[in-house]
Amino acid sequence: MPRGRAMMVRVRDSVTANWMRLVLGLISVVAFIATWAVVSDYLADTDSDKSEYLPGPGAVAEAFVKSFLEPVPGFDDIRMGDMVASSLIRVFWGFLLALAVAVPLGLAMGYYRAAEAMGRPLVEIFRPIPPLAWVPVFMMVFRSFWGPVSIVFVGAFFPILLNVVFGVRSVDPRLIDAARTLGARRGAIFTKVVIPTIIPYLMTGIKVGLGVGWMCVVAAEMMPIQGGIGVGYYVWASAFSYSMYDYTYATMLVIGLLGVLTTGVAEVLEKRVSRWMGMR
Amino acid sequence: MDRKIVILTVAIAAAVVLASVATALYLDRASGDDSVGYVNMAPSLMEGWLAGNQSDAYIAWEPYVSSSVVSGTGRVIMWSNEIMPNHPCCVVAVSEDFLAREDGQDLAARFLKAHIEANRWMAEAMADEEGANYSLLLEMSAAFTLRSPEVVEEALGHVEYGYEMGEDFLAALKQFTDMYVETNIISNETLSDLGFGNVSEFVEDFVDESLLEVADDVEPSGTILNPADEDAIRLGYLSGDIHQLAQFVAQNRTVGGGEKSLFEVYGLNVDPIPPYLNGGVLMDGFSLGDIDVGYLGAPPALQKHANLGVSVKIIAQANSEGSGIVVHADSDIHTLEDLVGRTIATPGETTIQHLLLKIALSREGIPFVKA
Repeated sequence: MPRGRAMMVRVRDSVTANWMRLVLGLISVVAFIATWAVVSDYLADTDSDKSEYLPGPGAVAEAFVKSFLEPVPGFDDIRMGDMVASSLIRVFWGFLLALAVAVPLGLAMGYYRAAEAMGRPLVEIFRPIPPLAWVPVFMMVFRSFWGPVSIVFVGAFFPILLNVVFGVRSVDPRLIDAARTLGARRGAIFTKVVIPTIIPYLMTGIKVGLGVGWMCVVAAEMMPIQGGIGVGYYVWASAFSYSMYDYTYATMLVIGLLGVLTTGVAEVLEKRVSRWMGMR
Repeated sequence: MDRKIVILTVAIAAAVVLASVATALYLDRASGDDSVGYVNMAPSLMEGWLAGNQSDAYIAWEPYVSSSVVSGTGRVIMWSNEIMPNHPCCVVAVSEDFLAREDGQDLAARFLKAHIEANRWMAEAMADEEGANYSLLLEMSAAFTLRSPEVVEEALGHVEYGYEMGEDFLAALKQFTDMYVETNIISNETLSDLGFGNVSEFVEDFVDESLLEVADDVEPSGTILNPADEDAIRLGYLSGDIHQLAQFVAQNRTVGGGEKSLFEVYGLNVDPIPPYLNGGVLMDGFSLGDIDVGYLGAPPALQKHANLGVSVKIIAQANSEGSGIVVHADSDIHTLEDLVGRTIATPGETTIQHLLLKIALSREGIPFVKA
């Protein structure tokens, strides 16, 4: 078979394969939206008590678009973009603080037996506590901006820490021996052997931590002491204060998209950084 | 490799600087020099929050106002009747499903009669501070709100109890609804979907004065008219809200003459269900068919009636006035203008307290923004 032909076959196969995936994916999404519309219509037609709690996809889509273009119900000057910005800022700081504390701690715990022995019991005690259990204290002490930030911090801290510890443990001792044999000093071993190995582990921690961070910020913003604005706050307010459930679902959609977006960015960064630093 | 680390460090540092600027702008957003910022919280948290210097002021209903004053934590800079004299506050609402029951109209009128008599009893008790009924009233208030007699005595003095709904009442409800429409919490589209051309039509349809007239002629009943558990009137009310004391008084057998409570005197089997945290949640209780009659603030009733399509009617007032703005006892805040640049806690954007504060600030031309 001539070369060009073989390539065409490969391209065709790959298109068919991806095309099938696309179609199957579309089918499931369309089926979901259709079921949603049918259930919502059924509730409305039968005058069900529950009908107001499940607006149809059309109403939610309309609220989604309107929330970005016009001030959201309850406010004369705040749009969904402002809600997103303030939640993003909280996630960013919580996450950054977690990174700044968890990475050095993780390195120490992975590197030194004593640090590991000291850190492990604390980690095992605090890790299983859901970050949201801190809400009552943190919201009172740190108030409406740093409160959610500190809860994001707790949520993102453990995935990063544990992944870094695991990364350091995974460094091949033979590589360290080899580097030492070639006359590398401690610092050089650290930057040339240890760091490159842990980057993929660190990135896994970052991805997981970001996901948890979003869940934390949404829940923290929903708490009874509400200052500031944010997507979590608006999920709460649109439902409990205003009973505008189309906006509630629209905000939930925004949160979902933001989660996908931030972990997507983390994934791209991971690939870029790994390739750029010549680790893969 | 080292150069790459330097580049990476610079990139991260740049991101941090950018984010710091964004954060500073964000934190600065609400604390402008010309506006009053607000946060939302449950009134039960407000005193502690103020005591810990976590907020500069709060607005709440009694007994959360007097509680701070009596304990020495707070000082009142303005009572709600200074913002709107005789303003509506809590109301009695009844579900339309209940009214549609065969005995619904009759039972609702009897319920109102007990409500009216409880109000009369309270008025008489308060008129004679030496009387045994006054001590009983304080005792009941303390039991209902879980506060000390000193706090409830102070609080009772700031609440106007009454059941009648006049023109002012309707006008105030229309004003609150207009404010909701302004901020899109109720849309004109929603009102027209419900079949109303304007806010006035909506409010007038929501308020039903006819049962109060019928209630006047209700006579005591020798027997309970709805003895079966499944026929009992399921009563919803807010946790420890002294504005809603009438229903608690109507349940008390000493008040009813020793043998029966006022509800029982008028032939009613009333089943109070566990209290709700706020009026919005209570309206959801109506919507889900959990309660037949409820005591709640007029504004959340209006708002959920429109947006959730909760089928209820307002059939009487429970009280008017009875909210206040509290600051720290040694605060330098004495007037509304002094609140500029500070943060005040409110029980939520759809509450009467929030709306009244908004009215007061807009009169002074002071913007009111989420802190």
